[in-house]
Amino acid sequence: MQALIALVDCNNFYVSCERVFRPDLMRKPVAVLSNNDGCIVARSQEVKDLGVKMGVPVFQIKEIINRHNIQLLSSNYTLYADMSARVMSTLEEFAPSLEIYSIDEAFLNLTGVCPKDPIAYGQRIRKAVQRATGIPVCVGMGPTKTLAKLANFAAKKIKKTGGVLNLSDPMRREKLMRLVPVGEVWGIGSRTTAKLNQLGIYTVWDLATQPSQRMQAQFNVTVARTVLELNGTACMDLEEITPDKQQIVCSRSFSRRITEYPELSQAMAEFCSRAAEKLRKQHSVTGCITIFIRTSPFNPKEPQYQRAASIKLAAATQDTRVIIGTANRLLEAIFRQGYNYQKCGVQLSHIQPQSLTRQRDVFDFSDHDLRIENGALMTTIDQINRRFPKALSIAATGFDKTWKAKADRVSPCYTTNWRELVCAHC
Amino acid sequence: MLNPITKILSPCFNPIRVLIPLFNGKVAAGFPSPADDYVEKSLDLNELLVQKPAATFFVRAQGESMLGAGIHPNDILVVDRSIEPVPGKIVICALNGELTVKRLERQNEQWHLKAENPAYADIVIHEELDMVIWGVVTNVIHAV
Repeated sequence: MQALIALVDCNNFYVSCERVFRPDLMRKPVAVLSNNDGCIVARSQEVKDLGVKMGVPVFQIKEIINRHNIQLLSSNYTLYADMSARVMSTLEEFAPSLEIYSIDEAFLNLTGVCPKDPIAYGQRIRKAVQRATGIPVCVGMGPTKTLAKLANFAAKKIKKTGGVLNLSDPMRREKLMRLVPVGEVWGIGSRTTAKLNQLGIYTVWDLATQPSQRMQAQFNVTVARTVLELNGTACMDLEEITPDKQQIVCSRSFSRRITEYPELSQAMAEFCSRAAEKLRKQHSVTGCITIFIRTSPFNPKEPQYQRAASIKLAAATQDTRVIIGTANRLLEAIFRQGYNYQKCGVQLSHIQPQSLTRQRDVFDFSDHDLRIENGALMTTIDQINRRFPKALSIAATGFDKTWKAKADRVSPCYTTNWRELVCAHC
Repeated sequence: MLNPITKILSPCFNPIRVLIPLFNGKVAAGFPSPADDYVEKSLDLNELLVQKPAATFFVRAQGESMLGAGIHPNDILVVDRSIEPVPGKIVICALNGELTVKRLERQNEQWHLKAENPAYADIVIHEELDMVIWGVVTNVIHAV
C-alpha cells in the first residue's frame, strides 16, 4: 500500500483567529504585530497582495498602512493557542496518527484511510475545520512529508486546486516541480539555496533529479534525504509525541529603558514567574537557571553592556519563589549602574520530569531561603490563575508594570476568559 | 582525608503531606462503608452542555430581540459551530460584520432571520446581504 501523508496548514493563522471573532475584518487588510508591536508577524492575503513582507518593522511601512487602512493588531497568543488546540483536536478525527508540527500545521498519516478519493477526503477535512473553528486550511498530500509540504505550498498558491492537492502521481509531481523554485522546498534554507543555484540547481525538479549520494557529498545528509523524499521515498517518520521542552526561555524587550536595579529585578521576577508556570504546565523541574540583561544594540551612541549569568541548582525545582530568588542573586552579581537596559530574560534548562525521583537537597540548606518547596502552593496558584487570569502573582514582580512591552491593540481573550467573551447582538 | 562536615542536618519543618482521595474509604479495619459500591463520578455541567468541545464557543448575548426564546441581555450562549444550521434553529450569524442572534426560518422558498420579540423586525436573507452562519445556539446560561 502506498503511503499517504497530508500536511494541513492554516491560512494566515493569526489573522484568521482574529477574524473568527471580528467578522468586520473579513476581506479587509489585517496584520498582526510582534511583541512590543514592532514588526509584522502575520498578514492577511490582502496585506500580502500589497507587497508587505513578513517581519518588516511597522515604522518602515507607515505610509502603506495609512494609505490602505491596514488594520493592525497586537499578537494575542492566548487566543491563538486555544484556536490551535481546537484545530488539532478536529484533525484528530480524520487520521489514526497525527504530528502537530507547529501552532498552525499538522501532518496526518492517511495511509489506507481514503484510497478511493484522497482529494474528496482532503475537502472533507477542510470543511470540518472551517466549520468547527472558523479557520480556513489547505491540505497538501503526498507519499512523504516533504512532498506533502510541497503540495501544501502549491495548494495555497494555486486557486484552482480548491485548497487540496495530492502529489502522489509522479507525472503531476514533475509538472509542479519544474515550476517551483528550489528554495521553497521544506528544509532547504537560504544559504543552501544560494549554493544550489551556483551549481545550476534552480527548480525543485533540478534538485529531485540529482543523485542523492552526490548531494550528501556536496552538502549534507539532510539535502540527500530531501532528494529521496522528493522522489517518494520516506525518510522522515511522523513524530506523534511532542517531547517536553528541554529549555524554557522567557524574555522581552521593555516599552522604555530601565536604569534602576529594583525595576529590573521586578521585570526579571515577572519573566521567572511566566517561565515557572510553563515548567509546571509540562510537569517538569529545572536544574539550571540562566539570566541575561542587555542595553539596546540599536542605540550605538549609548554605553553598551550585556551580561549573562548561570547557576546549577543543588536540587531541581519548579517553585516560582526559588526561581525568582535564584535569579535575583544572579542579577545582583551582574547588574551595573549607569546603563539603559532594554531587555532581560531568564532561561530554565536541565529540565526533567517531576516524576523522576529527585536529588533531595539534604546537605545544602543555605542554597535558598525557602528550604522546602511548596508544590501544593504552586498548584493552587496555577489553578486560581487559570480561572482568574493574572489574579495572583509573587510580590517581587512589583505593581508598576509600565515597563511591559506595548500591546496596545490586543484583542480580548474570547475563548479563555469569562470576562472577555465575544458579544452577539439580539 | 575525609571532608569535615560543614552542615548539620535538621528535621524537615514543613513535611510534605500526601492527599488521599476521599472515596478510597477507610477499608483496613471494621466494616466497609455500605455506600462504597454506589460511588459514582460527580456531575459535570460540560457533559450536559458541550458535545463537541473543539467546536463549542461561549458567546455573551446583548439586546432584547430574543426574549421570547429565553435569551436575556447578558446571558451566556453555548454555541456549537459543528451543528447543521437547519430551519428552526437559533443561530449566531455574522451579519454585515456583526455577530447577531436570530432564529433561522424558511418560508415560501425564502430564508428568514426571525426575532423572538414583536418589537423587532425579521430579516429576509437575500443575495446582496453579507451574511454567514457562525454557529448554532444549543443552550442558554441565565443567572436568576
